[in-house]
Amino acid sequence: MMPTNSRSLAVAIAFVALVLLPLIGSDFFVDFVMTRTLMLGLAASTIVFLSAYGGMDSLAQWLIFGVVGFAIGNLVAESGRGLKFGWEPWLAVPVALAVATLLALVLGVLSARSTGIYFLMLTLTYAVIGFYFFGQVTTFSGFGGMTGIDPPDFFNGEPRRLYYAALILSALAYVAFRAIARTPFGMALQGVRDDPVRMESLGFNVQVHRTLAFTLAGFVAGLAGVLNIWWNGQIDPTSIGINPTLDLFIIAVIGGIVHLEGAWLGAFVFLGANIYLRDIPVIGNIGGVIHDRILAEERFNTVVGLILLVIMLTSPDGLAGMIARLRDRLRGRTPDDEDHLIDIGYQPTSKTQLG
Amino acid sequence: MTPNATTTADPSAPPLLRLESVAVAFGGLLALGGIDLDVAQGERLAVLGPNGAGKTTLFNAIAGDITPTKGKVTIKGVDCTALPSRLRPQLGVARTYQKTRLFGGLTVEDNLYLAQAGKRGRHLALRRNKLDAEMRVRAREAGQQVWLGAQLDEKVQDLSHGQQRQLEIGVALVTDPDLIMLDEPASGLSRGERERLIDLLEALPRESTLLLIEHDMDVALKVADRVVVMADGETIAMGTPEEIRSNELVHAIYLGEAG
Repeated sequence: MMPTNSRSLAVAIAFVALVLLPLIGSDFFVDFVMTRTLMLGLAASTIVFLSAYGGMDSLAQWLIFGVVGFAIGNLVAESGRGLKFGWEPWLAVPVALAVATLLALVLGVLSARSTGIYFLMLTLTYAVIGFYFFGQVTTFSGFGGMTGIDPPDFFNGEPRRLYYAALILSALAYVAFRAIARTPFGMALQGVRDDPVRMESLGFNVQVHRTLAFTLAGFVAGLAGVLNIWWNGQIDPTSIGINPTLDLFIIAVIGGIVHLEGAWLGAFVFLGANIYLRDIPVIGNIGGVIHDRILAEERFNTVVGLILLVIMLTSPDGLAGMIARLRDRLRGRTPDDEDHLIDIGYQPTSKTQLG
Repeated sequence: MTPNATTTADPSAPPLLRLESVAVAFGGLLALGGIDLDVAQGERLAVLGPNGAGKTTLFNAIAGDITPTKGKVTIKGVDCTALPSRLRPQLGVARTYQKTRLFGGLTVEDNLYLAQAGKRGRHLALRRNKLDAEMRVRAREAGQQVWLGAQLDEKVQDLSHGQQRQLEIGVALVTDPDLIMLDEPASGLSRGERERLIDLLEALPRESTLLLIEHDMDVALKVADRVVVMADGETIAMGTPEEIRSNELVHAIYLGEAG
């Protein structure tokens, strides 16, 4: 297993590189690839946190991410669909985050008794309900969605500032999630993950732990949702539907659902594939040539599906695990697959269904 | 033989644990048929019986993992019949499970820490404090007590089966409980480990009350003051280890099979 110090050093080096990136990267790369990588990584990190520390595989994180977008849209936009409150963008942030956190609390309470596949299906149900809610309740949006949602002046027309905001929030979330794992609450959460029955008999309220972890993850997903709506300036129900919901889960799995840093790695590979693979002639022609069109969604899904398949077959704990093993090999250590899977307490036998 | 509810410890003292007609039914199956039992403080009671006799169901009813269908469970004078299992450590109850239930992704020390944190209310804290440090020290002591001093920093899923059984006992003992319930603690242990287990149980503070389910007669009869024999959800015999050894009914349905 990669020692914790070595792992922290690698993450610190990556952070410094990301801080310096805007000095050398193109506008397109920084804004379209890396800002989105950090936003999606931040959202995916909540899936990893819940799964790796709490044993909860959630498909509701994208919904909470989207609810923040709709909340800010309703509060900030001055025209178009929705409530059109025309608030100052900064003022909308705490309200939207409060809505998202409260929603996560309610959904957490409702699902705290469920585990495994039942928890997964329950959270998928929430995602579907969210899609239809914003599609059909035209007071808040309607299927046409909302546009013209401006970020605060500080970020308006300043993509690098948004990049740094995404970087700072990602770094804070990463550090906070790892620190929480070592607190009494985090220890108890990992106990709940491993054996909820024993935790109850030791005096813990398992459902409260699950609910609070879900609420915390919801808050962080909400932060990512704030960045997203500022970056996008628009949102519609399709953008919080099942496809993007599954995309976020796939990002977490590609990156390595047992490694927090894998969330951002997965987002980078996912977006990189989406943006750059269409330029490669052979891959761009999968399924026949489509003239003058970007890589069609179906083709993109095929490519991502193949990438996912290859990663899952070669490294069940995703890219982060693959990198860790590679480092071990370079250092002459004997690689041990299971060691990486249990890097933060992961138990392979209970999670193999993820593949 | 008619089971009686007397204890050998101190008949005048109120019982630490009292079961009154405790019955548990799973659908049409009556797993416990109405058990009456008093256990005095400091008593060491072994529960014997063939597989399916209802021993673990009895434990689950006492520990709150299942709620009895009928009857009443009283611990330290408190009616616990419907009290959730998570509130029982506050009454000084700790148990082990027949099938090891530990936190595989955490270290030995973390497991022993969590057992204390559950009882001492450090559930939701986001900062470690002095109490946590004390519990860590106690966790390391308890790890050594169950011969896992060299494995304190190892992840539990990497331990051998025998070591996990030792830790299972450690998790129950680390909170210094008043009522210790051990469900087949010797299963999976080697002969040497079983002897160490007997030493450990005999070294428990005399005021600790011990309920023990054990198939290993050497362990059960050596440690216990009193033995209850169960079959088909009923108590069929009760007495001192010597009385149980010489009980023909017990031989016929239990010891005979074993021997």
